[in-house]
Amino acid sequence: MPLSALTWLSVVGALVVLPGVAAAALVRTLRSEERKLELLRRQDAIDSYSPRAMADLRAWLRDNPGDPYAPIARERYNECVRTLRTIEEPYYDWSDEEIERLEEL
Amino acid sequence: MSETEARTAREEWGSRFGFLMAMLGAMVGAGNIWRMPFTTGQNGGGAFLLAYVVLLYLIAVPGLMAETMIGRYTRAGVIGTFKQFFGSKSAQGLGLVVLLVNVALMSYYAPVIGWTLYYAVHSLLLTFSQPGFEAVAFWEAFSGSPLLVMAMHTVTVAALAGVLVFGIRRGIERVVKWMIPILVVALIAISVRGLTLPGGTEGLAFAFTPDLEALTRGSTWVAALGQALFSTGLGWGIALTYGSYLGRYDDVPLGGGLFTAVGNTSIGLLAIFATFPVVFAFGLEPSAGSELAFVSLVQVFPQLPGGAGWAIAFFVSFFFATFTSGLGITEVGVTTVAEETRLSRRGAVLAVCGAIWLLGLPSAYSSSFLGQMDFVFGNFGLPLATLAIITLVGWKFAPERARAIDLNRNAGVYVGSWWNLIVRYVVPVVMAFIIGYGAYTSIGTDDQAIMLGGIAVMAVLVVASAAVMNVLGTADGTGEPARPKGGD
Repeated sequence: MPLSALTWLSVVGALVVLPGVAAAALVRTLRSEERKLELLRRQDAIDSYSPRAMADLRAWLRDNPGDPYAPIARERYNECVRTLRTIEEPYYDWSDEEIERLEEL
Repeated sequence: MSETEARTAREEWGSRFGFLMAMLGAMVGAGNIWRMPFTTGQNGGGAFLLAYVVLLYLIAVPGLMAETMIGRYTRAGVIGTFKQFFGSKSAQGLGLVVLLVNVALMSYYAPVIGWTLYYAVHSLLLTFSQPGFEAVAFWEAFSGSPLLVMAMHTVTVAALAGVLVFGIRRGIERVVKWMIPILVVALIAISVRGLTLPGGTEGLAFAFTPDLEALTRGSTWVAALGQALFSTGLGWGIALTYGSYLGRYDDVPLGGGLFTAVGNTSIGLLAIFATFPVVFAFGLEPSAGSELAFVSLVQVFPQLPGGAGWAIAFFVSFFFATFTSGLGITEVGVTTVAEETRLSRRGAVLAVCGAIWLLGLPSAYSSSFLGQMDFVFGNFGLPLATLAIITLVGWKFAPERARAIDLNRNAGVYVGSWWNLIVRYVVPVVMAFIIGYGAYTSIGTDDQAIMLGGIAVMAVLVVASAAVMNVLGTADGTGEPARPKGGD
């Protein structure tokens, strides 16, 4: 029985948004683990936040300085700043200028 | 190693692949193999899939990110996590609710794993391709023998304990790393075989031809919602527990959220490809549910060239799907009991598996009891557990705080502030709706009495758990911020 064009579209669409996305996510996460391990072997530490995530953390700390979780957030923020200053190659896409502009809180 | 050291050093996954396969294995279960194909065909085919995919990405993916994240943050099991966040001992009882729901769920799921094990063993013994084999008589002889079903239940629980006693890395991870890839390869191979059968594409037409009108029916969306939430295991405590064994540099959103939810559904999709072409090529009834696997397909495989091999591929992979879910559900209890009592891991495995075995005997003995347990815990227990965990993230930890401090830490993908709204409002409202809808649709039907009983059981469970934690709970949760244990 030949399938209609709409059915084919449905089959292909399902394959793309389900196994296609799952396979892409699997490959990406395994590759990023490899890269993390390689960087950790070479420099013993890696940055924990991307520039966008770090900006979110900074903004959250600025807006909630007295929050009971602020000390943990600050500790993690400062740790990432210190790491970025000591490592040769960041894991995330940090530029030298961005790293220089960072200050511990 | 001293007792103190042994109890403070927390195990971690040995590899990223191991964690991902464990998550996938835990979420892929019997429902993916026998429920997903028929639910898709019955509710508008491609239109149902569209609704399902929308809800999967909108609710299940962000929800699983939240649950895995809270586990990685606290590095504790379900009770330990609630203790870290709640000063009130009564509120800590919600963790006990999640634990008890898992034990109850596993008590009736273990006999189902026993069914799949029985069929997997018989496929390996080539029973299904023996001359004169009668599938209906075989199924009735098995399911009608409480002794045999209880024996398989016992073997299943013993096998689960045998894996779990070795821990996360040497137990669960070692097993799932080969079971899940074999499951995927077997389903792909059966799909290819089914699609090349004369009339096989009719199965695809049934499952995928979109009935766009179905998108305007509320029942389609409710069915899609149920499948999206329950097949991904969101809020059952599994992602929280497995997430608690992640290392400090591990990602959560990409693996624990996106890959787990979408990968799980992808295996459901593979099950459609694997079963429906065969079902239609041989003129079987597609709505047969569990009988589709245990009665209909058993008759079909021997008719294919190399049929014994196809039967082995299907039933062994079906067993792997259910067994790896059993590992995940049981580990929720094992982790928590090992943390909250003086028991060693071995003692916790024995205690939890012993309880599951004992509580599972009535479900193994009577399939109608099993059905009632499924109704009560599927409709009310699991949504209640989900509500408890998601509310913890959405209202106690607070999503913006969680996202800024932990979710995007070491993440493989950046999660924006859209996530806050979903975790705080959408998922809790949807879960409350699911519970209410399940109750509402039972009114005036044969299920009304069991529905009322189910609600009463849940109410008793919540009150009793709060009371127990009031007496036995420790004052870990002082209302102070939860400090992640170790690694930070």
